[in-house]
Amino acid sequence: MIYLELFLQFFHIGLFSYGGGYATLPFLFHIAEVQKWYTAKQLTDMIAISTITPGPVGVNVATFAGFATSGLLGALVATTSIILPSYILVIIISKLLEQFKTNKNVQAAIYALKPAGCGLLAAVGIDLFVSNANIWGMVLLGILFFISTKQKRDPLFYLGVSAIAGLAAGYMHLIS
Amino acid sequence: MDKSFYTIFKTFFKVGTLLLGGGYVILPLLQSELVDKKGWIDSDGLCEYYALGQSVPGIIAANMSIFVGYKLRGQIGALAAVLGIVSPAFLTIVLLASILEEIVHLSFIQSIFWGVGIGVIMLLYLATKEMWNKSIIDKFTCIIFFASFILSACFKVSPALIIILSIIAGIIYRKKHQDSVGEKILRECKDDLS
Repeated sequence: MIYLELFLQFFHIGLFSYGGGYATLPFLFHIAEVQKWYTAKQLTDMIAISTITPGPVGVNVATFAGFATSGLLGALVATTSIILPSYILVIIISKLLEQFKTNKNVQAAIYALKPAGCGLLAAVGIDLFVSNANIWGMVLLGILFFISTKQKRDPLFYLGVSAIAGLAAGYMHLIS
Repeated sequence: MDKSFYTIFKTFFKVGTLLLGGGYVILPLLQSELVDKKGWIDSDGLCEYYALGQSVPGIIAANMSIFVGYKLRGQIGALAAVLGIVSPAFLTIVLLASILEEIVHLSFIQSIFWGVGIGVIMLLYLATKEMWNKSIIDKFTCIIFFASFILSACFKVSPALIIILSIIAGIIYRKKHQDSVGEKILRECKDDLS
């Protein structure tokens, strides 16, 4: 039953990803490896598209992954189930706001969750870096990195530059 | 002040449509729509929800929308807000996904994807850096960061297990100034908006 599996996978992402939309990515790459519903390459394309389309990146990627797995209904199931834990938790927290803010155990958990989410994301970055390690890719990354040290730019700017660089590289037959 | 299901939905739908490039713009957007135009909450309230939205798992923009929607109209407001923020993303992607299957094999599209694949690594680096600034505040959080990183990158431990382990570590370690993470976000948010 693919829809039940989709529901369970995306519900667990919604429940365990800490640190916003990008924090869902380690889980989505893990799914690519284990469930093989889509490939890591497809997921990378999805992330790029999700960044240039309206809406929170996490929602975009979930919709995309669900669609890739089993069409429109899959997209609906994935998107609903990634949001559902947030919905339930936020409603509960809204009702118990003071307890939530002052509970020592809750605060201690959050304190440790954020660096963990960050560590997971760094691991994804390194994985992608290694799997893309060809000479022209590294040249492009070096250029992007250099730009970022000069001035703070919007994510869209970096994607725009890399799309143009990709077109140029394709035109010059630098990539196979 | 109009707080109907439709108005709340419409307001968050607009925010969802304007939200481009990965959540960095969520604060100024919500400030302009909810605080300046609608007057539903004030800047301090927005910052409070921003900090709270990050204390809950999942997508921060969705968390904040549900918090604000719930404050405005209870369950109905929360539902209107979350449907509003999610719909533009959902509709765009469903439309795009079908088109994409048709064009993905074209060689110039492949070239673009090669380029943006590298761009995504850059975005991950920037997102990691941003999260690092927000969450690594002392020796303990630094250890958690590297432990999670190594377990995930070298040993391929499942992300959910790492998250559960870090919750346990946090509760065992808990100490007096542990709520400083939330306070830091709150302070930075107020600085940003003022």
